[in-house]
Amino acid sequence: MFFKHSKFCITSILLLFSLIVLPAKADTPRYINAGETLTLIKKNKALTVDTMSYIECMDHRIPGSICLALEEFDKSAPSLLKDKKRTTVFYCESKNCQRAGEVYKKALAMGYENIYILKGGLPEWKNAGYEIETIKRIKRMPVVSIKINQLEKIKAEKKNILILDVRTEAMFKEGHIEGAMNIPMYMLHKSFHAIPKNRPVLVVDESGKRSFIACSFLINNGFRDVQRLFGGMAFKENKTK
Amino acid sequence: MVIPISVHHVTIVGSVLSILDVLIVRLRCLVLAASVPFRMQIGIRKGILWIAPFLFLIFCSFYAYASNLAMDCTECHNNDQFTAGFQKSVHGDNGCTSCHKPFQSIDRHISKQEKPFLISCGNCHSEIANEYKKNFHYLYEDFKCQNCHYEIHSLKKQQKNSKIPVIKGCTKCHTNEEYVSSGHSAAVLKGNNDSAVCSDCHGLHDTKVYHTSLEANTAEAREFYSRKCISCHSNKELMKKNNLSHKTIEYYEETYHGKVQDLGYPTRVAGCADCHTAHNILPPDRPDSTINPKNLVKNCGKCHSNFHPRFAEYKAHPDYRNKNRYPALYRSFVFMSFLLLITFSFFWLHTLLWWRKVYWEKYRFEKLGIIIESPLPHEEAVQEIKRFSGKERIMHVLLIISFFGLVITGFPLKYHSTPWAKALISVMGGAHNAGLYHRAAAIILIGLFLYTCWLSLRFIFSKGKGRAGIRGWMDRLFGPDSLMPNKNDWPQFKGMVRWFFGKGDMPQFGRWTYWEKFDFLAVFWGMFIIGGSGITLWAPEAASYIYPGWVFNIASIVHSEEALLATLFIFTVHFFNTHLIPTKFPMDPIIFTGRQKLEELKRYRNLEYERILSEKRLDELKIKHPGIALKIIASMFGLASLWIGIIFTLILLWTFFFA
Repeated sequence: MFFKHSKFCITSILLLFSLIVLPAKADTPRYINAGETLTLIKKNKALTVDTMSYIECMDHRIPGSICLALEEFDKSAPSLLKDKKRTTVFYCESKNCQRAGEVYKKALAMGYENIYILKGGLPEWKNAGYEIETIKRIKRMPVVSIKINQLEKIKAEKKNILILDVRTEAMFKEGHIEGAMNIPMYMLHKSFHAIPKNRPVLVVDESGKRSFIACSFLINNGFRDVQRLFGGMAFKENKTK
Repeated sequence: MVIPISVHHVTIVGSVLSILDVLIVRLRCLVLAASVPFRMQIGIRKGILWIAPFLFLIFCSFYAYASNLAMDCTECHNNDQFTAGFQKSVHGDNGCTSCHKPFQSIDRHISKQEKPFLISCGNCHSEIANEYKKNFHYLYEDFKCQNCHYEIHSLKKQQKNSKIPVIKGCTKCHTNEEYVSSGHSAAVLKGNNDSAVCSDCHGLHDTKVYHTSLEANTAEAREFYSRKCISCHSNKELMKKNNLSHKTIEYYEETYHGKVQDLGYPTRVAGCADCHTAHNILPPDRPDSTINPKNLVKNCGKCHSNFHPRFAEYKAHPDYRNKNRYPALYRSFVFMSFLLLITFSFFWLHTLLWWRKVYWEKYRFEKLGIIIESPLPHEEAVQEIKRFSGKERIMHVLLIISFFGLVITGFPLKYHSTPWAKALISVMGGAHNAGLYHRAAAIILIGLFLYTCWLSLRFIFSKGKGRAGIRGWMDRLFGPDSLMPNKNDWPQFKGMVRWFFGKGDMPQFGRWTYWEKFDFLAVFWGMFIIGGSGITLWAPEAASYIYPGWVFNIASIVHSEEALLATLFIFTVHFFNTHLIPTKFPMDPIIFTGRQKLEELKRYRNLEYERILSEKRLDELKIKHPGIALKIIASMFGLASLWIGIIFTLILLWTFFFA
């Protein structure tokens, strides 16, 4: 503890020094909370950008947001975010804002100036009691989640089960369940036709929070036997450690 | 309330206009449904083209009239769930527009361009809506009311005291076998409403989920869920009704896991769900229960590693007052209680009598103006005589430091529920740090103990020149320099008691009085008990290779009670006998300076004085008066220690009687 504290003290002193010594331009992302975001929207006509997938963004977002998934940022940012000086707040749907953070880095590199990250993302916005907007609601369906230790049993029961990995291509490349098919969340609304409808589907995501809406989407689109993996790949890796 | 009025309004106006309504709406439904083929007919039969504008006008007037009417949606939406089913539902008295926003144009509605948006359920159910803002399903999956209340149109009023709908609702998605096979929900399904369902632990509308699956939020989750378990399992009536003990929580809080949890540091100790699991809580006789003896090794292995299987014989929340179920634990508890009782009743009485005597004598001397004369000529009387060597003085300082360290870091755990315990622990930076300091202090004490053992052995078995009349180790062990009680102690004790009651003079003592011998030997014996149990509790996994897990339960009782014994003994008996007695008040610095006046030696330890004279060692024991620096340091350290001890004793007394 003492050691930890001393470490903390040293780092904070160093940080203070760096603030004095280094030019004011800080590299760390500028995090703002829900209240500050609302003020920016009202006062600076700030643009809010949902960095989740199209399906999720159309289902629920901060009113007036632009849907621009992290994976499509490089391609679509120039056409969707034309004004590089406009106040822009990126957000995603998790506590640690990983996706918004990555978009922030990209935007910074592309020359966007007044950019922020909504700390805590959409849950924080909701937690603060602010309204959300629904453009195209995905009807929620009862989706059974199965745990990783049941996977073999399910595989044996349903011989032709298709494991659908909705994580990004990069994550999929790093490692995935054997025989899994990859359609990232941001592509799902376009590419779901590629999934054979007569096969049972098990949807796998990063940490179990996105697979539910993906499953609901599939069921709404005519898939009958859709399940999801509890806790996603993170839980699987944690368990197998 | 807006809705009841509008409902009322709809029913009255509706009854007047209902016949007209039905006609118009039916016609409109018909016309629209047939609109395309009708136009086609017009197109084909050009002869009747002239009728079109006329018909159009009639329709328009109908539309305009109809749009302004409170109309019956069930004319089109005539599915049972909207008609009879809805009327039977809990919202049956409400109209459609209580929950659906009315639309601008029925055409656009029928052609699916305009949807009747939902009005927030929170307009009526505001309290639930408020709770729901913190609901996990809302925050992370954007659930709305109807996503759980699936058949919202035929929603029945819930039967009072029935929890089954909750299980049915949640298990639509969360149907993992483990959720339903859990002992609690099985009991509810069998009709026991005292048992818990999903919402009892996770909340109904304010569903909280700590995803322990990713090993994040372990502390919050453990704290949150354990508290949920405690809220029912400490309820006396509820537990009695279900043939369970409401004291299980109490017993758990008497164990290390429970104490640390109660102090507010649940991160590293087992909470309820760690052993019983979250959803598969079954009695131990069930083979699939995690607390079934066959599964215990695996269960403990979730946190502990490298232990012998008998490690799992540890009792997680035993009732040590229960003679039949835990005989060994019960006996240890009784033994320790008696030890405390006997020790304190003897020594507190002894100290009390001693004090009374000294005060009484002092008072009498003051009253009569008697000044006690020195038994020696002035020059001799003020001569300092060495009593403790430098090594011994340092050892005592280290002993004080380690002892106080152990007391301050250990007692908050013993009295975990008191405010002072929580404050002390937070000052130390948490239970984990307190544990580290406790072990550091223990290492010092164990070092001192081992060194004392070594010195004692060397003393008993030394081969060097013996003093007069001392031959062999038996003579040394029971000789005047030894701290072992010998044949002189009993008469000295009797003499002391006689003196307490004014039936004789204070007896003459040698180098060590009987209470000093007790001080030494008590610590010595205590070290086996407290050190042995302490090391066991320090490394229970390794200890399991020597003895089974239930010994840890005994170790923790013994460690805790022995600690109380030692602490109270030092802070009351030792402090009062050695320092706070009127003849020494406020303190006797002899252990820090190592020397005393010859007058003092002669007055209080005459036998030793005589022995030194007869052995002609007086000159070699003569020493200079202590320097100012040593005196200041000695009294500062000594007084600080005394104060800490006295304050701590007061805190303990407060805890016994008021906390």
